Amino acid sequence: MTSTRQMVVTLCIVAVICSIVLSFVYAFTSPIITETKKNLTLNGLKEVINSQEFVEIIPDTLWRAVDSSGNDIGIVFRVFPQGYGGPIPITVGLDFDGKITGVRIASAAEGLKETPGLGVKITEPDFRKQFIDKCAPEVRLRADGGEIDAITAATISSRAVTEGIRKGIETYINYLKEKYDKGEVFPDAQQFVEVIKDTLWYAIVESDTIGIVFIGVTQGYVDCIKFIVGVDNNEKITGVDVVYSNETEGIGETICDEEFLNKFKEGMPEAITGATISSQALIDAVEENLQRFKEYLK
Amino acid sequence: MKDPALIFLGAFLVNNIILMRFLGLCPFFGVSTAVKTATGMGMAVIFVMTLASWITWIVYHAILLPFDLVFLRTATFILTIASLVQLVEMFLKKSFRTLYNALGIYLPLITTNCAILGITFLNIDNKFSLLNGTVFAIGTGFGFTLVIITFAAIRERLDLAPINPSMRGYPISFIAASLMALAFLGFSGLFGLT
Amino acid sequence: MRRWQLFTRGIVKENMVLVLMIGLCPALATSGTVRDGFGMGLAATFVLLFSNIIISLLRKKIPNEVRIPIFILVISTFVTIIDYFMQAFQPDLYRALGVFVPLIVVNCMILGRAEAFASKYSVLDATLDGLGVGLGFTLALTVMGAIREILGNGTFLGIVIFGEGFKKSPVIFMILPPGAFLVIGVLKALINKYVRKEIR
Repeated sequence: MTSTRQMVVTLCIVAVICSIVLSFVYAFTSPIITETKKNLTLNGLKEVINSQEFVEIIPDTLWRAVDSSGNDIGIVFRVFPQGYGGPIPITVGLDFDGKITGVRIASAAEGLKETPGLGVKITEPDFRKQFIDKCAPEVRLRADGGEIDAITAATISSRAVTEGIRKGIETYINYLKEKYDKGEVFPDAQQFVEVIKDTLWYAIVESDTIGIVFIGVTQGYVDCIKFIVGVDNNEKITGVDVVYSNETEGIGETICDEEFLNKFKEGMPEAITGATISSQALIDAVEENLQRFKEYLK
Repeated sequence: MKDPALIFLGAFLVNNIILMRFLGLCPFFGVSTAVKTATGMGMAVIFVMTLASWITWIVYHAILLPFDLVFLRTATFILTIASLVQLVEMFLKKSFRTLYNALGIYLPLITTNCAILGITFLNIDNKFSLLNGTVFAIGTGFGFTLVIITFAAIRERLDLAPINPSMRGYPISFIAASLMALAFLGFSGLFGLT
Repeated sequence: MRRWQLFTRGIVKENMVLVLMIGLCPALATSGTVRDGFGMGLAATFVLLFSNIIISLLRKKIPNEVRIPIFILVISTFVTIIDYFMQAFQPDLYRALGVFVPLIVVNCMILGRAEAFASKYSVLDATLDGLGVGLGFTLALTVMGAIREILGNGTFLGIVIFGEGFKKSPVIFMILPPGAFLVIGVLKALINKYVRKEIR
């Protein structure tokens, strides 16, 4: 008959050893698990839009899709409309024209609770591909006046998906308008408030307006040049960036070089030798728009 | 937070623990030979399940989570349940003799019952509050009891029927359970529940 | 020869699921497809094998009065190990098996084996026993998984068997809970008829 002391001691030793072993296991596998989860989400995003890099805007709900040069090409969002058997996890990709680039619906193994054999058909490619290249108004079942064919005998699931996607587009489409990287030309600002649609914003730090950011367009040598400028309240330029240009490679396109654009911060620069037309057009246009929007500075 | 009434219904019928979730099958087939024993088992399960889900919920939220010991969940829960059942048995034996006589024999059987441990895990996985978790446990317990009593009634009849020797016992019971499960599938979609 | 029998008896003659009717919960719940059934079987075998080994190693040191809590501690440690490793390296399988991975700890098969065998025999015997029983368990689950997946989904390990036509409308009943009960009922009846006879 073992004494109570012996029993308790043995029990405690075993418990402690087990806990230590498990904490090692946990420490070892934990990073791998997090990585795997991240990749899983990432793979889901890649399935719906042609991009490799994503910037999270709303955690687990909204991402900006970025292409290899760092330009925005669209957004990806997730919605969970109530289906026949439970919430349906849907991932949708949207390009800048507001058109759907891809739709992904979680499978039964990932938690989809629709009727096996019927409702789960919403995950099949034939149903999902109907959504590609459609805009919000078209995303309704044919029975409701839209362009989507429901799955026979699975109307509830089909309608839930369709309505969920359309409402998602309506909710998140505003994020598409964040086309212009205002933070690039006014790094000190925390947020921007649109004053003239797609043209002028206030640059704000803690509810104080510290400057403005504006977009201008001018005619270059080959094509139009679209640029964005940040100006602080002292009329000093905080940054200039070229949003669009199509000038001659190696000559006119040098207006996009950081070296040149940085000169604006010290006052209007000289035109680039050998690329006078393109650069002078930009310089003049920046000056012109600065005068035009000066009144917005505080 | 999901409506407690819906959670109860969901656990009781739609996602019935035995016929849909496949938890608690050992006692289901072992103790359902007579309606009387089945009732006793059912009552014991409701009691232990509710108590266990309380204690494990508190242990999880008061100890495991704050101290980042979530990986000890499995070990902690099963030891807690085993100790709990042991304590309950001793307590009933001393203070509530009649209750002990009714439920007591089933209590040790419940310790390794996957239903109890399963429910405690599901409470955490579904991120239930203490109230919702309790409702979930009670609903599940009642679902268990409903099915086990019904099944016992069926088996009492089956015992008297002329059945092929190979089918007698487990096989015909399984097929009866299959038909019951089929019937319960019909509850899917009730009140919009899974 | 005795050692060999030790190993083989767990596979057919004393198959946990189909003969002794132990470990039913995971058997029915995770045998929807071959991958799930096989995966579950392997996971349970892992826990059974290593628990048996450790308990057998420690059998002379474990005080009799507290042996059950110690068995539980050892078993739950291995369950947690396989739980986290599966999460890290086989997340799809982990999501499919769900709550049944941690529930391996209450699989009567493992605690039962520890109590009846591992705590009383040598490490080699315990290993053979664990392997045999685990193999039998895995076999049972895989067979059930095969039947349910082929009939209920038209596939075997994801490979389409009877052609796309069948896959579009298979016997869904098989993948659902009632199908599980039916398959094990029929299997058990067959075993009763053809296998038990030899044991008698």
